[in-house]
Amino acid sequence: MAVLSRFDTPARLDELSEGDRVSWSAKVAEMIEQLTGAFPQFYNPTVDDTPSGLTPAAIAWPAFSARVLREEGPGAARWDRADSSRDEQDEYCEWSVERGGDDKIIRVTFTTEVPEYWEHAAENDPNRLLDLYHRFVDPRVELVDLFDGGEYVPRNPWNTSTEGRLAHFVQRSNTLEAAIRLVAEATILRAREDGTPVTDRQELVACAGLGDPFRNSDPQIAEIVNDAATLGNEITLLDPVGLYLDGLLSSGMETHDGADAAEFWQVERGSPGHAVRASFAVPEDRGYVVGDIKINGRPITRGAQVADKVRVRIGAVVKPGDHQPGRRRCGE
Amino acid sequence: MNSGVTPSRAVPPHRPCVDLERQSEGLDDDAVHRFILGSDDRPNKLSPQEATQQLGDRFAQLVLLKGVFPRNAGEVLNAIEQAVPSGHPLRVQQFFLVGEGTQIAPMPGVAVNRNLRFVATVGKGPGGPDIMVSAFHPDHGTIELMAWDLAVGGFNYYRTVGTSSAWVFAGNSRHALTAPTRDNGPFESHKSGHFLMKELREPWVNWHSPKARAVPSIFAEENLLDHPWVANLAPGDAYTLEEDVTIPAIQRWTKARLEALVSGNSDETPRRVLEQVLTTLTVNLASSNTSSVAAATGAVPRVDLPDTFFVDSAALSEVLGLMSPPRPFVPSTLYAESLKTFDVRLTDDSQFERPGDTHFAFVVPERAFEDTDTLWEAIERGILSRRLAASLLMVDFPNPIFSEKRQRLLEHVPDSAFGQVGDFSQSIADAIRASAAATQPGTPENEFAQLWDAGEDFKAPFDALLQNYYTAFGERLATQEGFDGYVRLAEARRDRVKAMPITESPMLFSRTNIPSGERTMRADGTVEEA
Repeated sequence: MAVLSRFDTPARLDELSEGDRVSWSAKVAEMIEQLTGAFPQFYNPTVDDTPSGLTPAAIAWPAFSARVLREEGPGAARWDRADSSRDEQDEYCEWSVERGGDDKIIRVTFTTEVPEYWEHAAENDPNRLLDLYHRFVDPRVELVDLFDGGEYVPRNPWNTSTEGRLAHFVQRSNTLEAAIRLVAEATILRAREDGTPVTDRQELVACAGLGDPFRNSDPQIAEIVNDAATLGNEITLLDPVGLYLDGLLSSGMETHDGADAAEFWQVERGSPGHAVRASFAVPEDRGYVVGDIKINGRPITRGAQVADKVRVRIGAVVKPGDHQPGRRRCGE
Repeated sequence: MNSGVTPSRAVPPHRPCVDLERQSEGLDDDAVHRFILGSDDRPNKLSPQEATQQLGDRFAQLVLLKGVFPRNAGEVLNAIEQAVPSGHPLRVQQFFLVGEGTQIAPMPGVAVNRNLRFVATVGKGPGGPDIMVSAFHPDHGTIELMAWDLAVGGFNYYRTVGTSSAWVFAGNSRHALTAPTRDNGPFESHKSGHFLMKELREPWVNWHSPKARAVPSIFAEENLLDHPWVANLAPGDAYTLEEDVTIPAIQRWTKARLEALVSGNSDETPRRVLEQVLTTLTVNLASSNTSSVAAATGAVPRVDLPDTFFVDSAALSEVLGLMSPPRPFVPSTLYAESLKTFDVRLTDDSQFERPGDTHFAFVVPERAFEDTDTLWEAIERGILSRRLAASLLMVDFPNPIFSEKRQRLLEHVPDSAFGQVGDFSQSIADAIRASAAATQPGTPENEFAQLWDAGEDFKAPFDALLQNYYTAFGERLATQEGFDGYVRLAEARRDRVKAMPITESPMLFSRTNIPSGERTMRADGTVEEA
């Protein structure tokens, strides 16, 4: 692989100008570079070599919040809570729901788009940002809705709700910088006060202050990175750096005409292998809507029921190394 | 086995799966035999015509009936792949890994019996994959395989023994339902003919999953390092297995089975369905989402417990719409203290032993999803009324599984074909209420009669009963004495599961110093010791 020439845009989206794609790479590189000093087993692939032939680690998890599941249990209450606020959607995947006149769901839109990318568009090309909002959110959006004092507002009126068409992440843990920082910080090995190595992922996350130990995403990423670091290896995120929708697990979804519900999963941004935005909707000529589809015998009445069937993914690269890291106590 | 269950018909002597294995040794290589325990005295080699007639699944059609007889699981997948064109749904293969010691890192000088096994699935569609293969090693012999029969429905069960290429057809899902084949051979574990994933729900304890990975270093120890099945484990692992394989497969068979029942094309009667409602033929295993280590070290302040330990919320709340329980939590300090009090430890009964619980805390049995799904479908298809289901399941509701009281009510269920009795649900209710026991306070019949009297508007009075119970156990979870009682109750239920054939490893549960004994939950949240 050698040294990466530059970081590509998430999902290799090509809507930005060449200059803006170059500056996006610089932005990602800066996020990474500012951490490589403090975390020597975390590396910048645009600076340091990545040997060819390495198999990237694909880390996948359910889009539905494990934290909400733990707190609400497996019953229907968890769906209501997850659909109630984007702040509850904390597994690097957020969604919003559109309903028809009869209140049945007609479309659920999922995104794994990081706010940093849209902020980048806002800084460099506001009209392109507006165009993205017009194409993917609502044609009525105006620039004035998106900016406050010249600053882009990620949590603007068009991108706050769990209803309608969302734009990108707003949940506070769902940022590219958070994912990058997590990988960097998870390279640090930890030990309890008595010197016992910390290897359990929930204990590791609590010990190192890496966030909520009960999420599906971060603790898993942290454990995989920490295991790799234990062996002296170096770690970075796979280019194009981003979070990806890894498809819809459609088995068990019952449609009116027996169709495989996977047909109704449309990637709107990115490619099937690198999707950052997708929607679940039944084409009009089918004569039924999402709300008529059943999962486990129950009609879909919440977007979260579909989120149960959506998988999210991030890619990491582990480069063989000869580091001999020590262990830090919790909180250090 | 539930000793008190009254099966639909007389059952011949039980013939376990090991009989199948023993008598399948020495069979002709490169041939398929039929050996359905309970029905067949010995393996019978099937002629090509007989095999074509009896085996309507894609594995048989594409492999066995073409004269291909694989010797290991890897060869099975290769044979199917070569039999279908590129892009065919049967080209979709997924690999999953389970083992009771997958989260235990290798230790110098200690051989840990992790009981690793793979599940490989072939196919993709609304009903899940058509073929599921289970094997301890992709390249070694002894294969168990299930394949959906396109002609008659249900899964056909196959197996090989050792490195032989002699294949045995051990029955179809429908053979699980009625005598003389029920409980025999594969149906000793697959009680109602379903695909098994004991640890079905998040965090899928024992499975390689998004919540707990198999420790990578064990693959070298198990001679599986860089094996394609390991390198290509399905994204999402146990989560994908649950959502894309197990639940669809269970629903697929439940629908086909109950469709046959209501259309008069089944050997079973609705009584078989009620066995699954009223007794505990099998279980799933639930656990806390909190790792035992994180709780015991105090890294997290509290431990969530499975609400299905306290009440059958899947049936009562999710199917019948009654009040859901509040999420049960116990302070980590109380959990940690109980580990000491009860000398909790994990051992493989050989070289490995360490203090502490299973990877995820508090593994306990719960009503099997296959039984909940059967209840759901039975109500949807009018086999059972909601009122009857609710009134039956509210009897002894603090004991969601292994309830002797609910099991006793099965005695009042007639073994008649669907439609033979005018209003099946009403007739059962009438039979229970007319029994002599219904007039005696404290009997399950009497309890049922009172519940039935709530009428069609049963939700409010039943919710009130549940609410009182939820408050009671919630309060007791805040005390060491209360939680210790629940640990003792959990151990009694685990003991019941250890006697079931689905227990294949000593590390399925941790060990304790709690003596064996019958324990039941009371509606006031206290535990009664027999």
